[in-house]
Amino acid sequence: MSRRNKISNGIGYAILIVISIIWLFPFVCLVLQSFRSYILEPGGQVNYLLPKTFSLDSYKFLFDPESKFFRWYGNTLIIATFVSVLQTIFVLMVSYALSRMRFKGREFLMRFWLVLGMFPGFLSMICLYFLLKQFGLTQAGAIPGLILIGFASSGMGYYVCKGYFDTIPKSLDEAARIDGANRFQVFTIMLIPLSKPIIIYTALVAFMAPWCDYIFASYIAFGYSDSYNVAVAMYRWVMTNDYQGYFTRFCAGGLLIAVPITILFMCLQKYYVEGVTGGAVKG
Amino acid sequence: MDKGKQPSGMGKIAGFFKWFGADIADIGTTFAKGNWMTKVSFLIMGFGPLLRKQFLRGIAFLAAEIAFICYMVFFGAGYLKDITTLGTQGRGFNPDGTVSYGDNSFLILLYSILSIIIIIAFIFVWRLNVRQNRNAERLLAEGKKLATVKQDFVSLLDEHFDKTLLALPVLGVFLFIVLPIAFMICVAFTNYDATHQAPAQLFTWVGLQNFKDLFSFGTSGFGSTFVTILLWTIVWAFFATFLNYFLGMAVAILINKKGIKFKKLWRTILVMTIAVPQFVSLLYIGKMFAPDGLVNGYLMRWGLIDSAIPFWQDPTLAKILIIVLNCWVGIPYIMLICTGLLMNIPADLYESARIDGANAFQMFRKITLPYMLFVTGPFLLTQFTGNLNNFNIIYLLSGGGPTSMSLNGGAGYTDLLVTWLYKLTLNDTNYKMASVIGIMVFLVTAIISLVVYNILPSVKDEEGFQ
Amino acid sequence: MKKRVLALVMSTAMIASVLTACGGKDDSSNNNTPATDTNNTATDNSNASADNSSAPAENVDYGTGEITIWVAENVQTFTQDQVKAFQEANPQYAGYTVTVEPVGEGDAASNMITDVEGGADIYGFAQDQLARLVSSGAIMPVTGEYATWVAEQNDAGAAAAATVGGTTYAFPITSDNGYFLYYDKSVVKDPTSLDAIVADCEAAGKGIYMEINSGWYQPAFFFGAGCTLTYDLDDAGNFTACNIDYASENGVAALKAIINLHKSPMFVNGSAASNATNCAAIVDGTWDADTIKTMFGDNYACAKLPKFTVDGRDYQLGGFGGFKLLGIKPQTDSNKMQVCLAIAQFLSGEETQLARYKAVSWGPSNKAAQQSSDVQADVALSALAAQLAETIPQGQYPNEYWQLATSLGDDVISGNYDNASDEDLMAVLETFQATCKSYAGQ
Repeated sequence: MSRRNKISNGIGYAILIVISIIWLFPFVCLVLQSFRSYILEPGGQVNYLLPKTFSLDSYKFLFDPESKFFRWYGNTLIIATFVSVLQTIFVLMVSYALSRMRFKGREFLMRFWLVLGMFPGFLSMICLYFLLKQFGLTQAGAIPGLILIGFASSGMGYYVCKGYFDTIPKSLDEAARIDGANRFQVFTIMLIPLSKPIIIYTALVAFMAPWCDYIFASYIAFGYSDSYNVAVAMYRWVMTNDYQGYFTRFCAGGLLIAVPITILFMCLQKYYVEGVTGGAVKG
Repeated sequence: MDKGKQPSGMGKIAGFFKWFGADIADIGTTFAKGNWMTKVSFLIMGFGPLLRKQFLRGIAFLAAEIAFICYMVFFGAGYLKDITTLGTQGRGFNPDGTVSYGDNSFLILLYSILSIIIIIAFIFVWRLNVRQNRNAERLLAEGKKLATVKQDFVSLLDEHFDKTLLALPVLGVFLFIVLPIAFMICVAFTNYDATHQAPAQLFTWVGLQNFKDLFSFGTSGFGSTFVTILLWTIVWAFFATFLNYFLGMAVAILINKKGIKFKKLWRTILVMTIAVPQFVSLLYIGKMFAPDGLVNGYLMRWGLIDSAIPFWQDPTLAKILIIVLNCWVGIPYIMLICTGLLMNIPADLYESARIDGANAFQMFRKITLPYMLFVTGPFLLTQFTGNLNNFNIIYLLSGGGPTSMSLNGGAGYTDLLVTWLYKLTLNDTNYKMASVIGIMVFLVTAIISLVVYNILPSVKDEEGFQ
Repeated sequence: MKKRVLALVMSTAMIASVLTACGGKDDSSNNNTPATDTNNTATDNSNASADNSSAPAENVDYGTGEITIWVAENVQTFTQDQVKAFQEANPQYAGYTVTVEPVGEGDAASNMITDVEGGADIYGFAQDQLARLVSSGAIMPVTGEYATWVAEQNDAGAAAAATVGGTTYAFPITSDNGYFLYYDKSVVKDPTSLDAIVADCEAAGKGIYMEINSGWYQPAFFFGAGCTLTYDLDDAGNFTACNIDYASENGVAALKAIINLHKSPMFVNGSAASNATNCAAIVDGTWDADTIKTMFGDNYACAKLPKFTVDGRDYQLGGFGGFKLLGIKPQTDSNKMQVCLAIAQFLSGEETQLARYKAVSWGPSNKAAQQSSDVQADVALSALAAQLAETIPQGQYPNEYWQLATSLGDDVISGNYDNASDEDLMAVLETFQATCKSYAGQ
């Protein structure tokens, strides 16, 4: 029995090690390439792994104020922070109303939002562009515009959070109300402290989304490089012919973005797991 | 959702008309029987509440009416009157070479829709105003007291707290989701494309022409392309969902296995893919499989192949590769979810199975899988519909390619309906066709969701959780 | 009271304009002296603007405003410096704040079409986008003296490229949008025959790069085999007719040559030198010259495109000669329009073109600049010149054409036609031809 166990554990480890290699390989490549000099060893994704000489050229380029990289980085950070905070507030508000209160039109609202979610988002892109333009929130004003777009309709994503609220016994609310608390107090004093994991989960997911937002951001900010976010700016480095030899700079930039987010993510991983698991069960 | 209570379609419609008729009758009675304050309130909203000292409500209604009138007079009406033509006055050049723009079809359509939504909302508010007047009269007749301003305020944080909470989110959804969607549905019935770009060139209504184009087969019709892409979209969503699901579950089971150490380490390694922004990781991985990329380079150097494998150039290979690479992206999510859920399965179930002599596979099939499927059913459905519209993977990895002479509208073999829609919107500025396809995407998603939802074993009453 | 204030404002404005005008005259005459053979251009400059605004430019107050310029990333700094110098030399335009943004020539047209009002005032684009811009109303016609200036100053191809249906719409800035062969001398021995190049590359295990799924590179084969593909346009930028004979024996020969090239294990589809790895020969343009110089080092060499052989017959690879243009979006303000025109003219003038050549090696379209000794001595540019003799000036093509050509190329690359008979290929080309014609409503 124990021999069989040993063998099966051995196979298990072997598989896990292979999986780990596959999963880590691209990141290792990314790190290695970011240390290749774009001056001495030009080219895109060269077909060898280890750079011939170790160099910090790409990083020097990014840290040079002329490259605007940190402006884009800052833009994204601002967008991500605001969207994260405001979206969390919106989601909590909607979730509380839908989970704890019964009002006319509640069923209709939930069903209506479900149907709306089935329309592909790009459909509304051009329309949103002109809508935002009317308020001066495109191009030069693209950052507040992107924040607005990021959180304004986020109430629709209440599922996970509402599912979590549903699991908190209603008897707690009732007890508090008997003690004289109104709903606002129940919500802010009792329910929110109980919902720490889901709040962190919502905020974390909302925080990570803007780092990837290429489509909308490039549309809203077009032709005004001061309002680009990192995704828009760096996507050009690999996808358009105007930027020759930016590949290693892309890798370096990608790394500078990935490292802080990964660290943040790892620290909050516990809550993230709780959120996705809860979300999956509640649908 | 509580499906049992839903009446049949016909019954629903009949019920609606009944309700509607009753509502109109109710408005009539309120006017006929109401006192003069109520009657004036029909015209000047909030008049009644103001005189009854319900200032908060009164001012709110009055403000709504004034705002509505101002909006319509100074803004909405100007656009709304052109809705049938979408503008007639085109652009012209002045003698000195400057341009003067006339109507703008885009803004006419957009603000007309906004105005229509606002008119509907106003009717609702007006109806509410009428009802409140009636209720107030009734309460006074019964000798009860009306809510004071202070009580009104307090109620917004208590029994009417839902209104406070939902006001902004609902407004946001209306402005940023409903309005654009309504707009784009309308665009599907116009000729808004590259040669009809407002404000330089006006566009106008064309009826069902674009739908006819979508379903026309032939060299320049979109019909066969649409069918090809639709099929691949469904195949892709199926594989992307279920392959990830089972592989992810397998990895989770493996990590959870007794005797495997460093559980946290393995999980953390996998979870890196979630943390690193996809546009970095996927763009990089996409390039790895280029003909002169890293993978081909090493395979050739090791002498395993003579010429580069056309990973992205061959339609079939590209499709397979995308599904495989999607596992790289998707497995960690599923693994996390399953890890949490697997721990919830009572251990004694396995124990008794083992005593009955079941092997590991049997236990998986009889205990683990049914449980997991039951619990994650709705999640699988959302995954599936999510994958139908999974833009990032396709766009960042293959960009939809390879294209072919047998596909029209710039579509490629790995394009999903959404990525095709994106190409039409951005590269071709062919908004009319993009809108038509967008509506089709909606229909496909809605139909599949409806069908799957009804066959799911775990459709539960929402209240059941509480 | 009101009147007095107004009068005060008016007089201040007048004084200011007179002052700036004096400064302007001074500066511009100073600026004109150094290069003797540019005097010509400079006088033309002032004449043109004078005629168009029906008053001497120096005495007009152009007011203030903002102007955005979109250019490719690698000339952003260059353009910024040039505009700055221009404004210093011509203070009557100094009231305008000019921002130069890096927007790729491909994106510029799409962005302009999406939102004309939000787009740049002056923008650079490759000339194949012109018809699209005209038909969607995103570009302003260039008239009067400016149009004459464009026609006189630039080579015939460039001037024609800036014209749709008899109206000039843009200011040409380069004539070098063509492609030719870069190769590694140590690998490729005979750059005149495609078969020999392929053989050399295969022997050395190095890649031969050409972007055969691009509507721009692909016609090298078809035009080389004697086929034609052009479109006729009306004044509004709409396509009226397509002149194409791809569905012919010559077309089949060209397609077979493309298929043969794709069959080589060392062939790689691509034209971006900076993304190429393990490359010994690449069909590319002058914009990549520097990258390729680094890549090949001492073995750097260029030549016109080779001959290809199908069924025992030799054909010389042809292709497109294209141009880069500067366009101005339709303006609502007359003063701003004048300023935009002046800036665009300056940015496309002889001096700027030469300076641009020196800064980023963009081959000039200005006739005088082309005669400069530096330009004449450039290896890449002379290879290009030799190749351009074999090409046709690129006209206007509908946007869908580029997609269609990509589809044809992708079909070749995915191996769909590897075993196709001549009849199959003819059928493919007949579809291609019919689809091309359908874009012109034929």
